[in-house]
Amino acid sequence: MEFNWGLMFSSYAAVFTPGILFMICVGTTAGIVIGALPGLTATMGVALLVPLTFGRPPLESLSMLMGIYCGAMYGGAISAILIRTPGTPAAAATVMEGYPMAKRGEAGRAMAMALFASFFGGVVGAVIMTFASPFISSIALEFGPVEYFALAIFGLSVIISISGRSLIKGMMAGFFGLLISAIGFDPISGFPRFTFGMVEMMEGPPFIPTLIGLFAVSEVFNEVQKSGVTQQVKAKLDQYLPSWQDIKYCFRELCRSSIIGTVIGAIPGAGGDIAAFISYGEAKRASKNPERYGHGEIEGLAASECANNSCSGGAMIPLLSLGVPGDAVTAVLLGAFVIQGLQPGPMLYKEHIDIVYQIFASMMLAQFAMQFIGMAGIQLFARVIMVDRAILTPAIFVLSVVGAFAMRSNIFDVYTTLAFGILGYVMTRYDYPLSPILLALILGPMAEANLRRAMVISGGDPSILVSRPIAIGLMVLAVISLILSIRGHQKVEARMAEMEAQFEKAVAD
Amino acid sequence: MKIADIVGGLVGILIGLYAIWEGTKMPTDVVMKIGPSFFPNFLAGFLILFSVVLVINAVRGKSKGTVEPMRLADKGVQRGLITLAASLVFCVILEPVGFIPSSIAFLAFMMVVMGKRKPIPILIAPPLITVSVWLVFEKILNLSMPAGLLADML
Repeated sequence: MEFNWGLMFSSYAAVFTPGILFMICVGTTAGIVIGALPGLTATMGVALLVPLTFGRPPLESLSMLMGIYCGAMYGGAISAILIRTPGTPAAAATVMEGYPMAKRGEAGRAMAMALFASFFGGVVGAVIMTFASPFISSIALEFGPVEYFALAIFGLSVIISISGRSLIKGMMAGFFGLLISAIGFDPISGFPRFTFGMVEMMEGPPFIPTLIGLFAVSEVFNEVQKSGVTQQVKAKLDQYLPSWQDIKYCFRELCRSSIIGTVIGAIPGAGGDIAAFISYGEAKRASKNPERYGHGEIEGLAASECANNSCSGGAMIPLLSLGVPGDAVTAVLLGAFVIQGLQPGPMLYKEHIDIVYQIFASMMLAQFAMQFIGMAGIQLFARVIMVDRAILTPAIFVLSVVGAFAMRSNIFDVYTTLAFGILGYVMTRYDYPLSPILLALILGPMAEANLRRAMVISGGDPSILVSRPIAIGLMVLAVISLILSIRGHQKVEARMAEMEAQFEKAVAD
Repeated sequence: MKIADIVGGLVGILIGLYAIWEGTKMPTDVVMKIGPSFFPNFLAGFLILFSVVLVINAVRGKSKGTVEPMRLADKGVQRGLITLAASLVFCVILEPVGFIPSSIAFLAFMMVVMGKRKPIPILIAPPLITVSVWLVFEKILNLSMPAGLLADML
């Protein structure tokens, strides 16, 4: 599929209207606020705010969601710099350089660079997404059930890389999620499975209430157990844009990190936190002054922030072109697309090519909105961190319940949210990662339905699964990904542990 | 973490066994060779396998990480349990009582649970948050919230 410049310009024209720009700005502002609040992740933010898009036209809804996504990725830097608490896991590497800078009175400089680096990374990620997605989807248009099954298996093979500390627990969470995805009508014969006789379970657990429960309600239960001391921000924020010298000094890292971030984002399963840590590590390795790292080196801050924002563009590539989410946030976005009647993947390019280009345009404009809103509201966002937890935490629960109920006006969805909230809390407490469940809920039905369809075509002959070259290629990729993930898991873990130790040290200092 | 891992592994094994048992009640497919039970059985098998590995690792003392024990005397744990009970009550009364009254009551109660003692914020914040959420969902997004006791007024 060739890149369609005419459609690109008309999409920018469609997005560049007051209504859509307003939605992008609302989403970006909400995203920055959510990202800035420690404990509230981008995944949670999108899950919590998806209900606000119910009943809105697709372009309005998706523009707003793009804004939330981009804003939340940057917002994490605010609390990382000002109160040494990363607002999102992706901003953990930012703390190591951002907070020491704030401590020596350079909070304004750090905030300005974090915002600019986020903008720079976001723009590069969005540009790569715009040109890479149509190309990948054109290959995917040839896919049949066999290729889709292989694609789902490839997507599932990355569960190991998002397994957190324990590989076994990650695999258990993944298979548990796949079993949950098997609840409801069997995709071919329509036989109801594991429904306990409940009509509401016939279509499986509702996706949005399930993820609101897993990512928002579980966090509420976690948050209420902490003592509610709100940190005060005393930093002076007097700079809105980084100086020309700072941009020149960090330019090489900005370019390198934005590419690293986009590529890591495009790998299903790897999110902003991994992108930020790897870019930070690479920046330190390549730096002429590695001894300055950990003591407020602006280059390290730029690398981390640039990577975690460019990651969002990268993560959209597999989502849009293959229908496989690149990280947890895009998995939630996939749910939001489905609610709008859009199924991400190659068919989206065939049936709703206009929407695809409008998403490219809104992703790009969201970066500009983030830069301007970030500059204009720098003082306000710094105060957001001080919001009273005694009010915020219960309010998040109410919003979660409302969001779960609003989609179908069905109280069963509220109970689903609560049940998954409790499950999510228990799993997090005992170190079982939640992201594999999310990935499994999306890829499980895709794997099963296409496996069964392939079997219908072949009359039950399993050799059909290795009869097509693309499918064989994807299966080989899945095996390589599995082997590399298992071998790399320990290495990455050791490196992350080393980085975290540095982070702990920086916090202790 | 050792005991927690053993319990977690046993729960995984039980879930897997339940899925396989349910699978025995599903019809078999003569055309495709694999019926509705194939996929769940396959997944359950792997869940059981990894759960067994987790239990064996835990028994051999190879569990990773630590977990803080839950003590009822701990204020945080008490807050957690109260929140759980309050959330359940909120969900149960949501439809019969209605969103506005139940949300105001839940928010006010939770603010007290989380340490707020000054009456003015407790009196102002819950109605303000509730009405804002209601206005956005009911009036702007046209999504209906349970009216409950206020059905005649709204």
